Amino acid sequence: MFETSLCQILFYVLAALAVLCAAGVVGYRNPVNSAMCMAVCFAMVAAIFFGMGAQFLGIVQLIVYAGAILVLFLFVVMMLDIHNESKSRGSLVHAAICLLIAGFFAGIISWVSISLPGAKDNTCPAITLCESAGELLIGDAHQVKEAPAAAPQYGGCLPELNAAAAARMENPSISDADAAKATSIPDVKLLGKCLYTHYNIPFVILGFALLSGTVGAVALARKIRKD
Amino acid sequence: MIPLAHYLILSGILFSIGLAGVLIRKNIIVVFMCLEMMLTASNVALVAFSRAQGTAGVPVYDAQVLSLFITGIAAAEVAIGLALIVAMFRARRTVESSALNALKD
Amino acid sequence: MIHNLPWLFLLLPLVVAAIDWVCFNKHPRMAATLSLLSAAGTFGLCIAYLTGLQTGTPGIYTWMPCSVEQLCLHLGLVMDPLAMRMMLVVTGIGLLVHFFSIGYMKGDSSNHSRYYAGLSIFMFSMSTIVLADNLAMTFIGWEMVGFSSYLLIGHWFDKASAADAAKKAFITNRVGDFGFLLGILLTLGLFGTMNFADMAGKAAGIPTAVLTVTIVCLFCGAVGKSAQFPLHVWLPDAMEGPTPVSALIHAATMVAAGVYMLVRLQVSMGAEAFTETACCIIAWVGAITAVLAAIMAVQQDDIKRILAYSTLSQLGYMVMAVGLLAGEAAMFHLYTHAWFKALLFLGAGAIIVCCHHEQDIWKMGGLRKRMPLTVLCFMMGTCALIAIPGFSGFFSKEAILEAALAKNPTFFWIGAGVAALTTFYMLRLCIVAFMGPARDHGAEHAKEAGFTMALPLLVLAVMAVISGYAFIANDLVPFNGFHAHGFELGLPFYVSMGSLAAGILLALAVYGLGNRTRDPLAGNFISKALRNRLYIDALYDKVLIGGLQQAFAHVIEFLDIYIIRGIICQTLVWFTVRIGYLCSWIQCGSLRAYTLVSGIGLVILILLLANQF
Repeated sequence: MFETSLCQILFYVLAALAVLCAAGVVGYRNPVNSAMCMAVCFAMVAAIFFGMGAQFLGIVQLIVYAGAILVLFLFVVMMLDIHNESKSRGSLVHAAICLLIAGFFAGIISWVSISLPGAKDNTCPAITLCESAGELLIGDAHQVKEAPAAAPQYGGCLPELNAAAAARMENPSISDADAAKATSIPDVKLLGKCLYTHYNIPFVILGFALLSGTVGAVALARKIRKD
Repeated sequence: MIPLAHYLILSGILFSIGLAGVLIRKNIIVVFMCLEMMLTASNVALVAFSRAQGTAGVPVYDAQVLSLFITGIAAAEVAIGLALIVAMFRARRTVESSALNALKD
Repeated sequence: MIHNLPWLFLLLPLVVAAIDWVCFNKHPRMAATLSLLSAAGTFGLCIAYLTGLQTGTPGIYTWMPCSVEQLCLHLGLVMDPLAMRMMLVVTGIGLLVHFFSIGYMKGDSSNHSRYYAGLSIFMFSMSTIVLADNLAMTFIGWEMVGFSSYLLIGHWFDKASAADAAKKAFITNRVGDFGFLLGILLTLGLFGTMNFADMAGKAAGIPTAVLTVTIVCLFCGAVGKSAQFPLHVWLPDAMEGPTPVSALIHAATMVAAGVYMLVRLQVSMGAEAFTETACCIIAWVGAITAVLAAIMAVQQDDIKRILAYSTLSQLGYMVMAVGLLAGEAAMFHLYTHAWFKALLFLGAGAIIVCCHHEQDIWKMGGLRKRMPLTVLCFMMGTCALIAIPGFSGFFSKEAILEAALAKNPTFFWIGAGVAALTTFYMLRLCIVAFMGPARDHGAEHAKEAGFTMALPLLVLAVMAVISGYAFIANDLVPFNGFHAHGFELGLPFYVSMGSLAAGILLALAVYGLGNRTRDPLAGNFISKALRNRLYIDALYDKVLIGGLQQAFAHVIEFLDIYIIRGIICQTLVWFTVRIGYLCSWIQCGSLRAYTLVSGIGLVILILLLANQF
């Protein structure tokens, strides 16, 4: 299908750009260049999030990472007026060993990912936004119909979604339009519902962590008076 | 359709590059950036899993909430870390990790 | 519950000692009162038991359990007349000494709470020895009295001589205790028990030589604690302690513990366990001690040292009696001696206080007129000690002499000779200190002692006179089924009268009626030797401490410096330093190196985990 292949191409292009920029972060000796590369890298990751249908997270990634955090980094780099990293003896060997470790790590992760059950074929598919929701729904529904008891959970902690999905399973003849409607429930709304009901207390604690982080940052960075 | 494995491999590569940066770079600010990159890589993996585990077009939102938490903690961490770096720079006039060997003497 | 009442004998003084030490450190009056009350309490309890109070058998507690029943360490009390009447002596004299101490310590600036706590600890440990139902518990008490004796001799520890004396007493006792411990272990091995009650009749069938060794080892303990030759050196030095302590510990009770222990063993093992050789050794050691101490006492000038040597001599008597298998006579003498020697010491204490801490008898004189009551009480004690008929000492000494004559006449003649010497040196003391004019201003201004000191003297004086008579002795002498022999004229009586008369005449001939200002016997070679304690202490210093110990110390020092420090330590140090240098590059202080190492660690961890699957 054209759309699917476009989607795939888009993903691979974005992923390649992200990896390239990540390599740039490590490779450039000027921290300003590194910061710029990181901005691009984070933007690519945000785009991949969009592609996975996690619109809210993508936006957060853009605003928080590529926006706020990066500006903070740049600000510090500029303020401290940091020059290029100095070269030191034996750093090549050091770098080689480090790259070896990192490469090994990447290899291990890739190997584990590929050998995950159902990772190579499409029994455990990642659904992208461009894919036709209804098509997938029907396909999935067939799968589930063959083993109805195997997948009782769909929407994580949102029971009404579960009920809706279950109802659709009972009656697979629901039209494509209805199914599309089901997936067009705004992502933000669902995420927010989950966050403010089930994860309410951790969320509040996170707020406190942020607050204490801010206070701590101020306490650390303010000039210590000598007297 | 893109298999889950490809997302995970992307996440792994990003993570490994971050790790390499942490190990190789001497500039602590860049080291810090690489750390952020590693966190982002884990976010990618989480969102991919969230999609893969869900059906009927509805992702498992627990994973996304966790990813959101990671982002929040990362923001707090950056604030503290940069403050530390500024304080350190004030004391030592450098941000190179190779200069931080006062404990040796 | 009531059957455990006798444990109060031990617990009351112990608890009081702890309270004195911990709570009343700054309140000497409270400490004194509490100690006095505890002594009075145990004394009252003792009286109650002797007059027929029955509470049943006291409970036995297993202190250190062991899978082998024989090796268990039990704590139990023995309540036979031997123990209970001994307790009467201990608590009775203890009570009087506590009372006397209040007056004696009045002007003293040291910490009184410590003193009374020490006295209470002593009461506890002495009761442990007396009431112990097995040798292990005896040994615990044995060490505890050594400890409390150390505390009390060294009460004025800022005085160098007192500190040295305390150390000397403690270390000398260790020598004896080593033998005692060996003896206890041998007993456990041979008899299969440490319990006194189970020992009876088990001596039969054990080879004589082994039995002899065992008894002699046990006797070593008595040699240390009862200050017999050759370990007698600590007792005269122990007089550095406060005088009430000397009266209680170093005259009446603790030093008698050795005799008590031997008699207890004789009673429980049976006389047949004491083989002929062992008895011979014991009797000879006692006799030698009696003679040596009596000779040395003749040329002492310090009033307390004269009494100390006299104590040694009398202890020699008792040990000799034990060696002659006359435990009954030994305990009789122990009992009378406790009363009159406590009297003599407390009297000496009163005199010392009233003469402004003057102990030299040649600086006294004329006290007869200034302190009549104290001198009268002291004379009562002297009469009892030199065995004038009608006083308590006479009866017990007679019992020993009779036993000696029956067993081995040699000891009888030794005893008679010692009796003559005793008479001589005690009369010397009395004549010089009490008669004639005052020779120093301390004695000139002496005044009669106060009530707290006079009352114990009076009580003890009464006991010194009457305690030997059969009607009292039969009920109070610490021996199972004691029965005083009727007094009869015979060789022992005539000989002892003869030695008494000889001693009196000799003393009068040499010292007149107190007009001499210096000792007419002094100045010659013999006197010098006697004043220097026959050079026995010096010999120990030179040969044992200076020679053997120093040689041994040199060997140890050599081992220490060249073997342990030189080879072992230096090698270890060298290796450690090298390994340290090798390892120090890990601590390079570089953050990147650390992260690199942790990265490698991560890889290794993953590999290990991967191997799991």
